[in-house]
Amino acid sequence: MSMIAGLPLATATPGGGDLVGLLPEVIVAVGFVALMLMDLVVPPSRRSWLAGATAAVLAGAFAMSVWGWFDAGPAGRTVYFGAVAYDRLSAFVNCVVLVSSLVTVMISPGYLNRRGLHHGEYYALLLAATVGMMLLDAATSLMVIFLAIELLSISLYILSGFARDEERSQEAAIKYLLLGSFASAFMLFGMALVYGETGHTQLAQIALAMSHPGPLDPLLVGGVILMFVGFAFKVSAAPFHFWTPDVYQGAPVAVTTFMSVATKVAAFAVLIRVFDDAFASYYAHWSSVVIAVAIISMVVGNLAALTQTSVKRMLAYSGIAQAGYILIGVAVGVAVPLGVQGALYYLAAYAVTNIGAFAVVTVMSGHGEDLDSYDHLRGLWFRRPYVAAALGFFLLSLGGFPVTAGFFGKFLVFAAAIAAHNVALAIWGIGTSAVSIFYYLRVALLMFQRREEGEEQPYAWPRTSLLGGGAVAATAAGTLILGTAVPLLLTVVQLAQAGTLPGAT
Amino acid sequence: MFPYILLTAGFLFAVGVLGVLIRRNPLVVFMSIELMLNAVNLVLVGYSSYLNSEEGQIFAFMVIVVAAAEVVVGLGLLTRVFRIGRELDVDDLDEMQQ
Repeated sequence: MSMIAGLPLATATPGGGDLVGLLPEVIVAVGFVALMLMDLVVPPSRRSWLAGATAAVLAGAFAMSVWGWFDAGPAGRTVYFGAVAYDRLSAFVNCVVLVSSLVTVMISPGYLNRRGLHHGEYYALLLAATVGMMLLDAATSLMVIFLAIELLSISLYILSGFARDEERSQEAAIKYLLLGSFASAFMLFGMALVYGETGHTQLAQIALAMSHPGPLDPLLVGGVILMFVGFAFKVSAAPFHFWTPDVYQGAPVAVTTFMSVATKVAAFAVLIRVFDDAFASYYAHWSSVVIAVAIISMVVGNLAALTQTSVKRMLAYSGIAQAGYILIGVAVGVAVPLGVQGALYYLAAYAVTNIGAFAVVTVMSGHGEDLDSYDHLRGLWFRRPYVAAALGFFLLSLGGFPVTAGFFGKFLVFAAAIAAHNVALAIWGIGTSAVSIFYYLRVALLMFQRREEGEEQPYAWPRTSLLGGGAVAATAAGTLILGTAVPLLLTVVQLAQAGTLPGAT
Repeated sequence: MFPYILLTAGFLFAVGVLGVLIRRNPLVVFMSIELMLNAVNLVLVGYSSYLNSEEGQIFAFMVIVVAAAEVVVGLGLLTRVFRIGRELDVDDLDEMQQ
């Protein structure tokens, strides 16, 4: 008590400059509250209006993020007493998250109507999760990181269980919640140890405290490793991936579309900021753990994906493998800047490609149950040629074929591993991505199989709506652009990487 | 004095982890997770008084608030599963692995 009373009064108050730095997040947060209220007055038959309002909020925040990229300048700064970064890394990742969210909103109304799940709180929760992700990629304080992770996680727990009467959806939500809070507890324990051993909760001060030479502090190393375990769970890296296939399969596929991409992007952004910057002086102690997790993810993800017969589970295991590839960039990012750049490039490429693949599944999911079994895709080419061609293109990109976004993502992280003199890591990556081509092509070729005479059509594919088709076309165009106009995005990620920890000079 | 706080917290955390791993009732699993979070709170507050820095106490408050929010969602979901007509046993949550 006496300690609290003895504290000096805070003389500084947050000002307009602080608010500007947080404007995109504020827009989405205000949108979240407004959407909850709008749901009360908008009649159920007009729920698509809510989707329109959500899209407007996201577009506004996107415009502000783009403006923030230029306004923050190359070095960036922190706002709200060093708790949140206003820099190019957060602006870049904000844009990726917002685009993912926007594509999800485009495909949602049609899908939710077909499944009879079109409730207004869907959009509010989507915005709440988006705010959490945006705060996470900008967070420079352990407390903000924790709050942002929980904000996005709790919203996603509810969204996973959004199909209220479906056993699978409820099961997915419970699993996600129990395992998610379990992993959060580990991450928190790590944060508590890092705070205790350095005496600070802000990343810039932690980095300063860690850079002092001195005897090795085992509690601090333990804290760093425990924090990594928590983040590895969020990016679904093996061996912390057990929830991923079940949650991705059980949740409504529109929700899976969003969480498989946006969560991973935001969590990787904070992983880069914390490990490649704040904990850079402890590189020798954490790099071997990150490399081991990267290799396990690539092997487990790709091998397990080979044996799947469900599209959603295959994409879940493929996502685990992709997390392994991005971790290569994170693992070597301290030694070579190309590592972080490669990881950021990969994130953008993965986001646009994977959201496209899941968007196709969402758009093609009709009444009754989601399109899921491999069988449901058989002969899609003959009925929905454009959608099938788009899915084939996304699968090629996930497999890393040239002229797709995935190729340059893989190329950059492998080049970074070689530049860091870790050729073995690059070989693991190349070997496992060769394996991945089998299951991606297997699904792609399935769409060209004709059904036999008199055989029933395997699945009643719905007609493609204008919005759904637009979302698929936009992501396909994005995959092509990121795969061909490489210098464009490469320049962006180089600029984004310049100052990942403002205020740490 | 301070090392004992850390040891107690570590012990509580380990009990929580064991509870999550071996208990089958999701409610008890939840309680075990709460135990883990409270062990973390103990670490935070312990360090806070040891270092004479107030940040740990603020952090502990945030953990308490978030834990409460998590429980609200968790209990809601458990009620839902129970209504669909399932036994409350985490081993039965294997619809998708069959």
